[in-house]
Amino acid sequence: MASLRVYVIRRVLVAIPMIFILLGIVFFIMRVVGDPVSAILGGHAPQEQIERIKEQLGLNKPILFQFFDYLGQLLRGDLGRSLIWGQRPVISEIWDHFPATLELSICAFLVSILVGIFTGIIAATNFGRFFDHAFRLYGIITYGLFIPWIGIMLQLIFGVYLGVLPIGGRIGTLMEPETITGLYVLDSLLTLNMESFISAIRHLILPSLTLGIYLSGIYTRLTRTHLIEVLNKDFIKSAWARGLPKRTVIFKHALKNAFIPILTMMGLQFALLLVGAVLTEITFSWPGMGTLLFERITYRDFTTVQGIIVFFALIVITVSLLVDVIYAYIDPRIRY
Amino acid sequence: MKKRRWLSFLILSFVFLCLAPGMSFSLQTKPLVLGTTDKITVLDPAKTYDFYTWEVFQNIGEGLLKYKPGTTELIPGIAKSYEVSPDGLEYTFKLREGLKFTDGYPLNAAAVKWSIDRVMKLDLDPSWLVSAFVERVEVVDTYTVKFVLKEPVSFFPALVATTPYTPVSPKSFPEDKVAEPTVGHYGPYRIKKWTRDVQLVLEANPDYYGSPPKSRLFVVKFYKNAATMRLALETGEIDVAWKSLRPIDIRDLKAKGKQKVLEVPGPYIRYIVCRCNKPPFDDVRLRRAIAAAIDRARICQEAYKGTVKPLYSMVPMGMWGHIDAFKQEYGERNLELARKILTEAGYSKDNPFNIEFWYTPTHYGDLEADVAAVIKESLEETGMIKIDLKSAEWATYAAEYLTAGVMPIFLLGWYPDYIDPDDYTSVFLHSEWSPDMGVFYSNPEMDRLLDKARTEIGIEKRTQLYEKIQKLMAEEAPVIPLFQGVLTAATQPNVKGVVLDPVMLLRYYLIYKE
Repeated sequence: MASLRVYVIRRVLVAIPMIFILLGIVFFIMRVVGDPVSAILGGHAPQEQIERIKEQLGLNKPILFQFFDYLGQLLRGDLGRSLIWGQRPVISEIWDHFPATLELSICAFLVSILVGIFTGIIAATNFGRFFDHAFRLYGIITYGLFIPWIGIMLQLIFGVYLGVLPIGGRIGTLMEPETITGLYVLDSLLTLNMESFISAIRHLILPSLTLGIYLSGIYTRLTRTHLIEVLNKDFIKSAWARGLPKRTVIFKHALKNAFIPILTMMGLQFALLLVGAVLTEITFSWPGMGTLLFERITYRDFTTVQGIIVFFALIVITVSLLVDVIYAYIDPRIRY
Repeated sequence: MKKRRWLSFLILSFVFLCLAPGMSFSLQTKPLVLGTTDKITVLDPAKTYDFYTWEVFQNIGEGLLKYKPGTTELIPGIAKSYEVSPDGLEYTFKLREGLKFTDGYPLNAAAVKWSIDRVMKLDLDPSWLVSAFVERVEVVDTYTVKFVLKEPVSFFPALVATTPYTPVSPKSFPEDKVAEPTVGHYGPYRIKKWTRDVQLVLEANPDYYGSPPKSRLFVVKFYKNAATMRLALETGEIDVAWKSLRPIDIRDLKAKGKQKVLEVPGPYIRYIVCRCNKPPFDDVRLRRAIAAAIDRARICQEAYKGTVKPLYSMVPMGMWGHIDAFKQEYGERNLELARKILTEAGYSKDNPFNIEFWYTPTHYGDLEADVAAVIKESLEETGMIKIDLKSAEWATYAAEYLTAGVMPIFLLGWYPDYIDPDDYTSVFLHSEWSPDMGVFYSNPEMDRLLDKARTEIGIEKRTQLYEKIQKLMAEEAPVIPLFQGVLTAATQPNVKGVVLDPVMLLRYYLIYKE
């Protein structure tokens, strides 16, 4: 147990410089692409106004001083203020948009796991036959698909031709539940607002399917490969020999053993989930962090972009850390 | 077994509920829903400087004067009348009595003065529309307010109709900083709920002096892309699709015929800027050659599928004073004239005029690269021009390259600040302001004409002056107009009251469903 504690402490210590390196890269790259003040003022401002804004934002200092100022600000938990429009605090922008991304990510994650594992099981249990070939192909194709294309196809089929699902937004008109967590499904349940609940679910289906299908391919392939491997092990053969039902053999014995690499992949896929969320959100006008990031890059709103990236980085690093720790806990042989 | 059957029943019921088309438990009247790809930037008239947020203020607020829907005629707003002093320096407005903001604070002369002073004091993006013209604001009595101008300005009433002049309540807005309260305005609608970037819910303001809005509840839904908004219109999720549908969507919607597509010429214009203070375009002949060779019809057809109209003046079609100055000077297109001018300037097929032509792919929509490509082809058709297309993302393009004079010739677009020919000419052609637009044009005769047109009160004299200005502009071609945007809205067949006009701001309070 002591060695696990040492391992966790070491992993946390390694994560800290990772965050600072990432911050440095983002900070300096953003400064290379241009001057934020001219972006704020639109280029038609008098020199004295430009100088005034530069002083206000501390941009008249040497760049290294600016970087250390920024780090100091971050350590105080302050992500700064947006450079454009109402100059709102970046943290407010993030809290406004993060629940939407979180809700979409959770649902897409569930879809990808369910679809991936289900198709993987069918492929593995039909090894060498039609379904095996079909789902192997599915695994390869979905990984190569372009998210907006999947989204538009689903919008056309379920939204336009069948007319059964909404094609964009988070919830129906005038149906927003009272805000508690910002997650509409949860908030509508907590406030017992069934109309909002159904509407939120209906709006979640297509974006979650889009991102979920895109991410499911890797699980299909992983489940198939590892399940085939496990199904050929002696203890499975003995389970068959004992006359256990097929469902028990596959789900209780084989899948359980094939699950460890899938669990690892879940952690690794998390960063990809956030990247995919950006494209999915734009396709479905989903008001989350992805659309915010895309918009603010266009307007060169440096502080908001930095804030979002720091936030994303913290999430990804925390999740990777958690997966590593869980993995180390499950398998005592693992110590890096 | 029984348990599993129940579970299956529950799951099936839930799937049915989720997929039932058009399912709604709501018994209340459905609101009118408008979709847009624009966004509310800052809901404060002292800070906001974009068309869409100004549109919102036209519906939740009202100025001293306002435009009569469907026209560019100014009519009384919260002011019932106004007088101008003989020297044109003082505008005295009589306000309607007994009005109050949505937070209950009285809307009187003191509130108007406080709002205007606040805009000037905060000194933010749109404040020049006030501070460049207004010396001070005086409260004459409770319901009379006087604007004292720095110099006579013929288009001051048009300025008064802009959003920075919209009064807001001192009770809800702080004096010294930007704020976005959802109360403290006065207009036909008041804000019921605003979820940033998601939706804006408006309800009729019971204290509004005029006719109540045609739809009691009005919802604006914000879309991140035009394709999704178009699908939302087709599936009936929205009643009106407003700025901006893509040309291909407009064409498809027209062809399908299930929804109504409304179009009018808008005041949005696109043009080419020549940097006039440095070679090569300090040579007027080369500017004239470009103006003669450009193929506007092809840009409109090939890039925009006929959804925009060729424009032959910087003053848009439909605005008083407009003349087709470039058409009169060069015809629709005159390749022979372009070749002749280029030969005079010393260029030939063997010694072509090589030039970098700039555009930005990140501000004017997906079609900008197509527009640049068509321009390149049309200019190279002379056989004596070679174009090297260059691009830069918008922030760099507008904020750095434009004013630094990096780009010798480039594409730009213009939305008016106020509806007057002055707003389409002075900023590009007057030596004082043209460097800000990257034109760097200076001609004392042009300055004299523009100054005279700004201070002249009579519309006939102003019209004559703007005709002269446009003719001189066509002769010297420091800027070359390309095309004028068309305002397009697509609606469900039962939607009425969508009034598109050159003011470009949609009045939600006129829209209703039959």
